[in-house]
Amino acid sequence: MVINFKREVSWLSAIALALVVAGCGGAPAPEPEPQPEPEPQVQPRDEAAEREAREAEERRRREEEERRRREAERRRVLSVIAEPVHFDFDKSDIRPDAEEVLQRKVSLLREYPGIRLRIEGHCDERGSNEYNLALGQRRAESVRRYLMSYGIDAGRFATISYGEERPLVDAHNEEAWAQNRRADFPITDHGRLEPGD
Amino acid sequence: MISGALALAPASTSAQEPQRDSIPTDVRVGILYQPVFRPGIVMPVIAAPPELRELADSVLAVILRDLGYSDRLQVMSVGEDIPLEGPVNYGLWDQLGAVWLLLGAIEGPADAPVLRLSLHDVVYRLLQDVRAFELPPLRHPAFRMTLHSAADQVVRWATSSTGIAATRIAFVDRSAGGLEIFVVDSDGFGLRRLSDDSSIAYSPAWAPSGDRIAYMSYVGGDPAIYELDLNPGTSSLLVDLPGMDMTPTYSPDGALLGFAATVEGRTEVYSYNLAERCCATRLTYARFANSLSPTFSPDGKRFAFNSDRLGQLHIFVQDTQDGSAELITRYIYDQSVHNAAPDWSPTGDRIAFHGWVEGVPQIFTVAPDGRGLRQLTQEGRNEDPSWAPDGRHIVFASTRGGSAGLWVLDVVSGRIRGLVRSAEGRLPDWSGRLDSTFLVGGTSAAGRNRDNP
Repeated sequence: MVINFKREVSWLSAIALALVVAGCGGAPAPEPEPQPEPEPQVQPRDEAAEREAREAEERRRREEEERRRREAERRRVLSVIAEPVHFDFDKSDIRPDAEEVLQRKVSLLREYPGIRLRIEGHCDERGSNEYNLALGQRRAESVRRYLMSYGIDAGRFATISYGEERPLVDAHNEEAWAQNRRADFPITDHGRLEPGD
Repeated sequence: MISGALALAPASTSAQEPQRDSIPTDVRVGILYQPVFRPGIVMPVIAAPPELRELADSVLAVILRDLGYSDRLQVMSVGEDIPLEGPVNYGLWDQLGAVWLLLGAIEGPADAPVLRLSLHDVVYRLLQDVRAFELPPLRHPAFRMTLHSAADQVVRWATSSTGIAATRIAFVDRSAGGLEIFVVDSDGFGLRRLSDDSSIAYSPAWAPSGDRIAYMSYVGGDPAIYELDLNPGTSSLLVDLPGMDMTPTYSPDGALLGFAATVEGRTEVYSYNLAERCCATRLTYARFANSLSPTFSPDGKRFAFNSDRLGQLHIFVQDTQDGSAELITRYIYDQSVHNAAPDWSPTGDRIAFHGWVEGVPQIFTVAPDGRGLRQLTQEGRNEDPSWAPDGRHIVFASTRGGSAGLWVLDVVSGRIRGLVRSAEGRLPDWSGRLDSTFLVGGTSAAGRNRDNP
């Protein structure tokens, strides 16, 4: 694509040069005083330059479009990856709503094999401090196993538990607890966020 | 005497209707402590030359507080007009209701003073015991601990049971950089931060020698067990298996470290040979379940731990060498049972833990065979009990009275005192008796470790 484009450019330059030569050939006999630059000589030059500028503008536009597309894609990837999954009280099994969230991650992780994640298990504040460390670890592990069961390579995940020490919502009610019983998915390696990389 | 008082809870095992919460059916709900006679002890002003007057007054204040905190003696106040010159006037002290009279005198040069304590039995009108204690200077870091050791001796002279003043409590609290390990003297003085990880530090556990504390930290990214050397105060990696290493505890002889570690995503209990600095040995086997928070019996032959293997969180006891785990807390069908944070008493007869009562954690004790379950608290949240070396006092985290912090409970009398006020103070661990190198004559009857009955 890039090479073809370069070829096209050199071809256009050749035409422009030919026009200039032709213009010279069609000029009247030489006079002692040189004429100011004749119109026909200037016109093809400008046309070529304008065309080139248009092409460049088009290129810029396409690149910008591509950049925007990639940025949108990047945001989509990050938001799908970042979406937490939630757990029932004192449980580590994957709920149906969490399964939907994880399915979106599965297709994305297949699309972007360079992405690596840390799966963080979290708990609400009610259980014992130490037991919550173990429970958070199991939550992270149960998410990891789910993703592995859909063929995602185990080496792409690290797991860690923060027990009840990293609440998302700093409140002491059912709603906050439900939000805090979760797995988070910080990205440890973005790969190149390129499909097929 | 302690076991007598604790064995009062009936150990009925009859089947009952399921309850609406997790209170086992035979538990004594509420604080039903026995009235215990505490012999009165009186300690008048300490005799001292004028240049040591300030020191003498500080000594008196520390010792009187310690005697009160022993919960074994009734400290009686006395006016300053009582004549102290001449032979002891037993009749006078007897009239005031004292059983014990503790006389103190500070002697010697101002830069190396000696505290002489003599305990008189007022009832039998005789000198019970006398001892001299070399005192560090007033502002010296060892000053208070020396007095705590002296107070512990006085308690032993009077009651045959050594006091628990010369001890410290390690715990977790919030600092600017995160959760760190802190330590405080048994009387609430000398609070200071020990770890400097700026991360999450958890589950401090005293070595029996009292000079080291194992704890869990996220400082290296991967949660592992570290050991704080209190002198000079440095921290080093102790155990780091793949995954998370947590809930360390030393065996009473200091040879093993019990802990929990990740196995295939769950948590299992291990022991680690500290003498050889090697060889993590797995102690629990429960597929699909977590086992954690080990605590050794005083003889090291058994350990209690926490596990959710029955679908509820319970306390189990198991032989350290081999053997199956035995459930010691009550399984209640279809209930949200949450028993956690076991700590085996240094006297061996009870295991303290916290369990939910209507979703709120309360402190319980139970015999290692599961009999005699007893609830000790009912006000606010009460969590993570740890025994003092006397097997009679428990430190725990509580929100009682709207004031969160660490509290000390005497399980015999039910008396409770605040130790540290802190919104996030948690996971306390009570040390064994700590050495005081300033004891005249060198040997302390208290011994290095936990109680020696």
